[in-house]
This record gives sequence, structure tokens and C-alpha cells, in this order.
Amino acid sequence: MHPLLVQYRAVVVKEVRQTVRDRRVMALLTIAPLVQLFVLGFAVNFDVRHVPTVVVDQDRTVESRDYARAQLAGDTLDLKAELRDEHAAEEALEDGRASVALVLPRDFQKDVLRGQGAQVQALVDGSDPTRSGVASDAVARFAALRATQLLQAQARAQGTSVPRAPVALVPRVLYNPELSTSVYVVPGIAAMLLLIVTTVIMAMGLSRERETGTLEQLQVTPLRPGILMAGKVTPFLVIGLVDVGLALSVGAWVFGVPLRGSLVLVAVATLFYLLSTLGVGLLIATVSRTQQQAFVGGFLFVLPAVLLSGVMSPIRAMPDWLAVVTYVNPVRYYVEVLRGSLLKDAGLPDLWRQLVMLAAFGTVVMSVAARRFHKTSA
Amino acid sequence: MSPAIEVRHLTRRFGDFVAVDDVSFDVGVGEIFGYLGANGAGKSTTIRMLCGLLTPSSGGARVAGFDVGSEPERVKAGIGYMSQKFSLYLDLSVRANLEFFASAYGAQGRTLSTRIAEMVERMGLGAVEDAVTGSLPGGLQQRVALASAVLHRPRIVFLDEPTAGVDPVQRRTFWALIRDLAAQGTTVFVTTHYMDEAENCARIGIMVDGKLVALDTPTGLKRTHAPGRVLEVRGPRLSVALDALKGTPGVLDVSRFGAGATVRVDPERMAPEALAAWLRARGVDPLEMEESAPTLDDVFLALTARAQRGDD
Repeated sequence: MHPLLVQYRAVVVKEVRQTVRDRRVMALLTIAPLVQLFVLGFAVNFDVRHVPTVVVDQDRTVESRDYARAQLAGDTLDLKAELRDEHAAEEALEDGRASVALVLPRDFQKDVLRGQGAQVQALVDGSDPTRSGVASDAVARFAALRATQLLQAQARAQGTSVPRAPVALVPRVLYNPELSTSVYVVPGIAAMLLLIVTTVIMAMGLSRERETGTLEQLQVTPLRPGILMAGKVTPFLVIGLVDVGLALSVGAWVFGVPLRGSLVLVAVATLFYLLSTLGVGLLIATVSRTQQQAFVGGFLFVLPAVLLSGVMSPIRAMPDWLAVVTYVNPVRYYVEVLRGSLLKDAGLPDLWRQLVMLAAFGTVVMSVAARRFHKTSA
Repeated sequence: MSPAIEVRHLTRRFGDFVAVDDVSFDVGVGEIFGYLGANGAGKSTTIRMLCGLLTPSSGGARVAGFDVGSEPERVKAGIGYMSQKFSLYLDLSVRANLEFFASAYGAQGRTLSTRIAEMVERMGLGAVEDAVTGSLPGGLQQRVALASAVLHRPRIVFLDEPTAGVDPVQRRTFWALIRDLAAQGTTVFVTTHYMDEAENCARIGIMVDGKLVALDTPTGLKRTHAPGRVLEVRGPRLSVALDALKGTPGVLDVSRFGAGATVRVDPERMAPEALAAWLRARGVDPLEMEESAPTLDDVFLALTARAQRGDD
């Protein structure tokens, strides 16, 4: 075997032995990501259902009761209590018993029957924007629907022709028809967990060698930095690929994430992505003196990388100057590949840009890390 | 035969600080060469340059036939290095460590296994081959580190304070291994804090503030730098007399031990007989006085003190 290959194999074997021996690292690499995926997959849920609602029916007529019952029929709003007046409703919102209060004023039925534009008041707790958005949306949609129904009923009663709404929207949701948050969130979480685990382990692994002096020992051997880094990275590329496989399996079985696209494409993207995350880990290690510094450094990278990736919040919602930053964030491209491929069966023609960016980022980071490594060792 | 290590005007600066200042010396093949100096005197910087870890600011050195500045990779292939931290993978077994370091130098297959077997035998590591390195006592870790450093049969081995923190019995075993290596033709370059250990070296260089201030055999160093005679004295009322003795012309050094004291005198100004008379006159009677040889400690202290006074 070529001496360079002997050296490379020696580093790989050493890294594998060290990793396998350390139960905590093994757990961190395999079990922890799965448990987190499982927990986060359930916890990160933007579906708004069962919003606690109180009703103040001051009219107490057939019409007002019908209105309230129909509004609460779906599973978006849940009736918590019927209250006497608006004041009591405000109190309920304030102490958190309810997030929505529906107030049907006196003369509601009379106004409806006379066609005088009866009014329904909805008080919404706006402190959780997602929830209040969905709740007020549901209330508004129902009011419009009810108005149309009433108009039609009146027209029928008067024997005139039933007016039809001039425009009707018929939305059809593609790729994720049930609008399940998990299907969208799980690929993002997988990318995030992979990022945290590989960056931090790589950064700490190399700085541990610096701390214990073995790095200096390596530097007096004829082992070149390139070989050393390649050998150090290889086992974690394999582990990362396995992690992604596990995450996708859990995603598919537990959260119903469809695996529509090419898994080969996903694997290639994963390798490029891991090159980036491991490269950043190595880079952090070259500027850290201790394992502690490397750990902190890892998180200083991981946190913004996750927040500016579109995993947690859409990039479109960011201000322009911040959105620009996401163009140099490998997490962004990897999540785009995962979502595109898994959910939409997007192929190479749609995702080649992301793959190129991931490969470019990985190559640049790795070579900068190697150069810095060479410099700090000299 | 050309020397194993040739150092010529070797200098290393860090900013304005000159860590190693115009140092020149040769080390012969198979020689045990000791390098002494206080912390910060420039010992480690010298070793790092000789191992190709650090580029000289000016001057240079040839190690194992290669220039450390321009061919550091070829230098590295020909030397072994062991630092005071032992620098082993403590979470791996002894065997895994040896395998790793042997392969890092390119050994494989049968060469790898025979060299490891030979080294395990030679260093007496047979019983602990499968033990986790971190669980071993310091003396054994030290031997594993030495084994890792010489597995690839380097022509020169650099040992940077290899016996720091190891008990005296293990230190003696270790020095036997080092003499064994040298007897087989390996050149040994060793730094140490222990002056008694330095006596094992064929020649010793002493660094003070980045400069090589002395270079000779242990005997030669003592003759040149710790002149005078060392007298061990015992007797009644000694401590009162010793206080008065300090600062007396011709008395170079007074240090106490147990019930007695060691006095080094300049025989030109205070002969042993004069010292005896001086002490008896102050009530130290009966007086026991015995002459002993100066040690490297005396040499080291004398050189450091001279450098501090600034008279080179």
C-alpha cells in the first residue's frame, strides 16, 4: 500500500477506535439525534387547533345560538365557557382561560332577519401571533360563509333567484395536502441536528488533540495535514450519512414524511453538507486553544446558521439585508434539497444550484481549515 | 562520520524577544547529549526548531543530514520525539497507540507487527499491551511514549523532559533504556531538570536566556564552572557559625542539609584548613569535615548567577 494510504488508514482507524470507545460520543452521534428528532418533530408544531374560546350570547335567540354552535363545530375553536358580558370575556382573555371571545350582541337575530347587518364581535388574544392569526382567520371566514348562507336563505324565502358569490376561491394544496407541520419541519430538524453534532464533535475532537499534546506529537511525524484532516473527517462522513438515513426513516414512519425524490441525490447533498459542517468544525478548532473554546465557538456558528436557514422561520420573512446572509449558509441549501427532494420529488434540474453551493462551501471551508491548520502548526 | 546534529548560529525571535540567540554546536552519532536550562531559557524552542516544528529566524541546523529550515518533512521522517506530556492517546490501548504511531511513519504489514512485538519486548510492555493507556502509572506511560517515539527506528531521538513527574526507580529504568538506545547507535538529545540525570550525558549544553553559555562533558563543566572545593561539615553550634560564615571572603556558597552543611570555598582565598580553623575558633568543636565533589547543580547555579550579574 502507498505510504500515504497507510497513514490515512491509520488516522481513520484511530478516530474510529476513539469514537467507539467513548460511549458518550457514540450516544451523541446516534441516539441523541433520533430522540431529539422524535421530540422536536412533535413539539415544533405550527398547526393551530383547539383554541380555547368563550362565548357571550347577549341575544339568546335561535339565530345567535345557531351562529355560535356552527362557529365552534370545527376543531379550530373549542368552547370553554359561556359568559354573561363582555367584561367577563375580557377577564377570561386576560387570565389566559381563553384566547378568543365571541360576543353576539342583543338584537342579533332581529338585525339578521331585517337584513340590517348584524354585528359579531371577536376578541382575540394577540400575544401569540400565529395562534391569533389562525383564530381570527377562522372567525372571519366563518362570518363570510354565514353571511352568504343567510343571503341565500332570504332569497329562497322571498322566491327570488339565489344569488351566487361572484368570485369563489377553491384552494388546492400540493405536496403536503394535509398542511402537516411535521412533514415540513422534520427535514429541517434533521439538517439542524446533523449540523450541531458534526460541527461540535469535530471542533472538540481536534482541540482535544491540541490540549493533550497529541497534535504536537502528530506534527513531528511525517503525517501531512491534508492526510490527517481527511482521516479525521472520513468516519464522521459515514456516521453523518447513517444519521441522515435514521432520521429519514423515523421521519417517514413516525411523521409520515414522504420520500418522493432520489435518495442518491439526498446522499450526495448530505456528503457535501457534511464536508461543510465538518470543515467549519475543523476551522473552529484551529482558532481555539481549548475544548471549551471550541465548544463555545461551535455554538456561536450553529445558532445563527440554524436561525438563518429557513428551518425555523421562512427566509422570505427576513429583512433583505439579513436574507443576503442566508446565501452563504450551507444549512439553507441542504434544507432546500431535503424539502425539495423528499416532498416534491425535485431532481437535479431543480436542485443543481444548491448542490453546487454546498460543494463550493465545503471545498472552500475545508481548504481554509487545512491552510490555517498548516500555519498554526508551523 | 558527519555529526548527527549540526547547529550553526541558530536564532529564533518572537517579535522583539530573542528566544534562541546565535546557538552553535554539534552532536555526534550515538552520543547522549544533554540540554539544560531554566524554564524559558530556550530549550523547547531549540528542540522545536531541530524537529522541524518551527522555522529558524536566522542561522540553521542539519538534523539527520537534512536542513531543518528547507527540508522539515525529511527531517521528521528521520527523528523521533517524545515530550514531557507523553502525548499518547490515553483513551486507546497501548497496542493501538503503538500501531497508530508506527503507521503514521508508514509502517505496515509484517514490518509493523514485528517492530511492535520487538518494542513491546524491549520496553517490557508485554503485560499491559491491551490495557487502556490512561489507566497505567506514569512510569509505564513514559515507556509507551518512548516506544512510540522510536518504533520507526529513527537515527536521532529528541526527549523533552522525559522524566518529569516519574518516580526515581522508573527514572533509573528509563535511563537504562536510553543508554541501550545510544549503544545501538541512536543519537539521543535530551533536556532535563534533574541534574543527577544529566550526569548520564556524554556532553551537556547549558542555556541561559537564549544563549548557550557552556558546553562540555559533566567533568569538564564542573572543573571550569564550579571551581573551588566542596566541603561537608558537621559539628556542635554549627548554625550560629554558618550565619557568620556567609559573606566571608573566599566562601562561595553555603547550604545546609540535615544536621550538617555544604560549604564551597575558593581554595586560593580560603583553604580547607583555614575554614576548619575558622569554624573551630567559633566553637564548632569537635569538627567533622569531609571533602566531596562539586555537582552539576553547582555548575548550573554558578552559570545562572553569573548571567544574572551580567558578566559574561
